[in-house]
Amino acid sequence: MRRFWTLGPWETFLLVVLALVYAANAWLSPEFLTLRNQVNLFQLSIEKIIVALVMTFVIINAEIDLSVGSMMGLSACAFAAMVGQAGMPAPLACALCLLIGLAGGFVNGVFVARVGLPSLVVTLSTYIGYRGVARVLLEDRSIGNFPDWFNALGQRGLVGPLTLGLLSFILLFMVLYVVLERAGFGRKTYVIGVSRDVADYAGIDTARHKILIFMASGLVAAYAGLLFAARVGAVRGDVGQGFELDIITMVLLGGVSIFGGSGTLTGVGLAILIVLSLRNGMALLNVTGHIQTGVVGLLLLASVLVPRLGARLSGRTVA
Amino acid sequence: MLKTLGLAALLASCATLALAQAKTLEPGQDSGGMILLPKFLGILVFDQAHEGAQEAHDELQDAGELQFLGPTPENSVAGQIEIMTTAATQGVGAVMISNNAGDQIAPAAQAAQEAGVKVVSWDSPIPGAEGESVFVAQVDFEETGRVMADMAYDIMGGEGQFAILSASPDAANQNAWIESLNNVLSSDEKYSKLELVDTVYGNDQSEESYNRALALVDSHPDLKLIMAPTTVGIQAAAKAMQDEGLCEQIKVSGLGLPAEMVSYTMNGCAPQFALWDFRDLGYLTTYVAYGLATGQLTGEVGEQFTAGRMGDYTIEADPGREGAKRVLMGPFTVYNSENVEAAAK
Repeated sequence: MRRFWTLGPWETFLLVVLALVYAANAWLSPEFLTLRNQVNLFQLSIEKIIVALVMTFVIINAEIDLSVGSMMGLSACAFAAMVGQAGMPAPLACALCLLIGLAGGFVNGVFVARVGLPSLVVTLSTYIGYRGVARVLLEDRSIGNFPDWFNALGQRGLVGPLTLGLLSFILLFMVLYVVLERAGFGRKTYVIGVSRDVADYAGIDTARHKILIFMASGLVAAYAGLLFAARVGAVRGDVGQGFELDIITMVLLGGVSIFGGSGTLTGVGLAILIVLSLRNGMALLNVTGHIQTGVVGLLLLASVLVPRLGARLSGRTVA
Repeated sequence: MLKTLGLAALLASCATLALAQAKTLEPGQDSGGMILLPKFLGILVFDQAHEGAQEAHDELQDAGELQFLGPTPENSVAGQIEIMTTAATQGVGAVMISNNAGDQIAPAAQAAQEAGVKVVSWDSPIPGAEGESVFVAQVDFEETGRVMADMAYDIMGGEGQFAILSASPDAANQNAWIESLNNVLSSDEKYSKLELVDTVYGNDQSEESYNRALALVDSHPDLKLIMAPTTVGIQAAAKAMQDEGLCEQIKVSGLGLPAEMVSYTMNGCAPQFALWDFRDLGYLTTYVAYGLATGQLTGEVGEQFTAGRMGDYTIEADPGREGAKRVLMGPFTVYNSENVEAAAK
């Protein structure tokens, strides 16, 4: 029996980095530690970090899902078309959007797990395809005027200052942590990620497992799309465009191997906190967008290089 | 350009004589800090607006800092929302935004206003006006349609097909101008033989606009003119026509910067285009924002004030957006082969 919470060397490193970033931010900007700013810090990227939690499963499973940003866009655009244009009740539209997410994830999963195509190719196709449908739905328009309660869910605190998005993130993190680190589903995810052949021989229904993970990815991406629609109160065809790369960046920075089989949700959680607080700290210091992007890029490069250099120095090899 | 300025100064001095009630802003007060937020970084006109803002900021001896902060082009909407939200956290005095996020910026702008930040839009307003104190309009949006229709009429000799190459579908200014062009075309018999066949969007990215311009040529064989009411689009379209050797058949016009358009105007690819001065726009916007942030202006309709070298202005109801207020800068300058070289310097 492991201790409930263990930190590997990479997580320890991330924790130190995070502490440094928080200390520097708090020192440089008096506003940083205010409750309001801490909530905003999450809110500004809430859709990405929620999807990153499920992306962790996808990548540990030795797959990739490039279609999540497009699925967010498709879900948001479908919602806008149904509510803003067709006048459908918003709760029904939300439910249909989540179904679209499940279906989109199912399509990805079937082509990867049953047909046997590489997930890079499959989700690159649906990355284009789902975005295409989203753009067809709204064309070049911007649709808003959603019900007030819907916008409030995205913009106002639900429990005290905590928004629906933030609560969803916290809850999802706890559930997925237990699933990945404590449940059979999580163990299978790692085993399949290390070697699908071995998992097949061990009697695991690997195809079903992969399809479930892709469906979860689609579902959560669709949910994130709805959160985005509520947060900004208006939708257009480019919602979520480019988000997939930010999401994958956070997961890799969290120490998840792009080849699958290793990584933890704790690491991803820490990486999310680092990226968000770093960006927020720079924004409070009035650092422009280009430099912010550059710093996050350097951080990712370091996250790839440091473990390899460390391994070389200690004479080991890394997977 | 000098002529325009002279004219503006003349008009301004007339206005001063007529209306002696204009408020002169007291310099040296603390705005609490101001952020000039362009659609995104790396566009010449926004850099010019920044120059003008800096000039006004220096003149006003604002004790608060002036920051020029913008998102990257590929992250424009989320980036503008982020900067607006952070500005509210920082508690700056005013944010001056050229809005590229449509109504998506409204929740963040409203939150900023609730935190005591004055939100002044310029160049492109918040369509629903929610969260916006006042819009500093470069030109009367109705007049823009008339100017574009006139240029099209001149260049095309009064008849033929033309298409519009716009920026993003959500840019309120672009949409308002296109709409006003449509109104002019349909309401005035003079333009009845001008046929608008297509509207496409290049998202103010050079390469995308370039490709969209070429696609227009392919899909409309009888096209005689591409009208681009964006400085990025007009330059990309002119370059595309020049590169393909199409300048004889298809002309380019719209809103452009003399410095970027001078070669295309002189070689005939873009015989006429129009624009206002972005330095002046940044300058005037900074005066408005400073006045509001220091409490010297209340932002009520009918309020008059003096904006330094540019003269007197009045806050008025925005005819294009219900419930919104604007300060109208104006006027247009139309550039052609006779005046473009002087203006480009």
